[in-house]
Amino acid sequence: MALVQETDVGSLVRQRRFRKFGTGVLYTLFTLVAVVFTLPFFLMLSSAFKSSAEIIRIPPTLFPEDPSFDSFRTVLNDAPFFRWFGNSLLVSSTITLIVLFTCSLAGYIFAKFEFPGRDAIFVVLLMTMMVPFPVLLIPTFLIANELGLINSLWALIVPAMVSAFGIFLMRQFIAGIPTDLIEAARLDGASEWSIYARIVVPLARPPMAALGIFTFLAAWNDYLWPLIVINDLEKSTLPLALTFFNSQHAQRYDLVMAAAAMAVIPVIIVFVIFQRQIVNALVLAGLK
Amino acid sequence: MAALIGESVTREKPRARSRAPGHASRMRFVAISLIPILGLLVLFSLLPIGIVAWLSLHRYNQLAPTSPWIGLRNYEFAFQTDPFFRNALENTLKYAVVAVPANIVLSLPIALGLNQVKRFRAVFRTAFFMPVVASAVAVSLLWTTIYDPQAGWLNAFLNQVGLTPQPWLKDPDLAIWSVLAAAVWQDLGYNILVFLAGLQGIPDDFYDAAKVDGAGPWQRFLGITVPLLQRTTLFVVVLTMISYLQEFTHIQVMTNGGPIRSSETLVLYIYAKGFEDLQMGYASAMSIVLMGIILLVTLVQMRLLRSRWEY
Repeated sequence: MALVQETDVGSLVRQRRFRKFGTGVLYTLFTLVAVVFTLPFFLMLSSAFKSSAEIIRIPPTLFPEDPSFDSFRTVLNDAPFFRWFGNSLLVSSTITLIVLFTCSLAGYIFAKFEFPGRDAIFVVLLMTMMVPFPVLLIPTFLIANELGLINSLWALIVPAMVSAFGIFLMRQFIAGIPTDLIEAARLDGASEWSIYARIVVPLARPPMAALGIFTFLAAWNDYLWPLIVINDLEKSTLPLALTFFNSQHAQRYDLVMAAAAMAVIPVIIVFVIFQRQIVNALVLAGLK
Repeated sequence: MAALIGESVTREKPRARSRAPGHASRMRFVAISLIPILGLLVLFSLLPIGIVAWLSLHRYNQLAPTSPWIGLRNYEFAFQTDPFFRNALENTLKYAVVAVPANIVLSLPIALGLNQVKRFRAVFRTAFFMPVVASAVAVSLLWTTIYDPQAGWLNAFLNQVGLTPQPWLKDPDLAIWSVLAAAVWQDLGYNILVFLAGLQGIPDDFYDAAKVDGAGPWQRFLGITVPLLQRTTLFVVVLTMISYLQEFTHIQVMTNGGPIRSSETLVLYIYAKGFEDLQMGYASAMSIVLMGIILLVTLVQMRLLRSRWEY
């Protein structure tokens, strides 16, 4: 149908004009949707910059009349905010580094070595992946309690050091690395550890970046597990601390939003810088 | 099955190879690396499954001296006696079941549009994805201020345009849906990008061939995009379903299950029973029920995925 119209100049122009109009509508719609997506973040900042007098005004003002850093200052003075931030950073980076090591190593072994029971173990591994964490809340708590981890940052780190999903992801990728490369290094006399460190890890960088980003974000934003195992404010991570701070300053939305903004903004900045990698990592991690 | 085949293969091959130089050092490497890793997996992935099943058949309280075996009585109590379990189960199911179409209906058109947009795609993508990386707690606190009946922006906006303000999170009929809206706002960007990845995975040749054959835009959409997007859609459906069945954070922060338990989900109730009332046996039985529901959804997905389009 569309092919015959090539000689019909009028229709072609009309079609192009329609397409242009369509594109315009599309961009307008998208701008609106983008505003809906970002507006709440704007409101968060707006509240955070308001004074304690302005925040209780009804109806709320869209822009702070006299923007000030007072609420940020109050949060930093009243609460061990940097401590919480540091805890979150420490826990999330430790988990990420350890997970990257254990999962790449185990993924490599499952992909490239033959040993008795390998496939049976791998099938069990896949099955554990299907059981979601909230279902195992109680037994994991009891085990962490037996190990004496409760109310320390170790309680957040130790249960997260290995991920069945991570091993699966790494195995799938490393299986595609040519075995000849590994055999050649072996013939040259390279030790098993140096083959892992010098050949496998550099080649497996893309899925490791994905796994690292995924693991870090999950650890950074985790709430349920810290809620159960951490009791001291000093050992809190950011999400847990935010809810505590909220309960201490109910109705002081200026302070709560300032604290929330300080927790969210660093993540958003990192996200904007590494946008492409992070999006690909999360989509890949989900799609498996 | 797979396990048996694997073992017979490994048993035959190494006979020739076992004398090969370095076999012992390879096996040492495997053992040294894998034993601690598998140990951790057993401790934190496998053992908990056994423990939760065991606990569900006992009356267990950390502080009590004994934990008597009570058979299936925890399950009986849940399904026959406990009105709060039924309430939490119903809330969880309606929350997850509504979340799926809400996510699809909103994310698919945006993804289809985004696939057409060439300029500024990165800008839009950033905007849509920002809520995904933010912490669920921060997002929940933010939406709590937006929903505030007096000082919140939503009611201020409704007043402005002449609509009736609502109590949102304070209203038993609206609370769970208000939380759901905030959760969907946070997750939508992720689903949009999964759909976008699915759309970009469809080869251009298909559309070109259809165009040559004279198919219009609608025919191309229904004949190519819809069937080839089935896998992605199914994936989004199942993933959304499973993650909303486990909802905890948004609800705990925004309503804590209230008002009058109208937004209490299973994980919230399991948490309350297990860690506040210390009835860990009963909470474990409810965990097993939740696990059963989630495994069912996963198995249905695997069945459906087996006979679908490949390209």
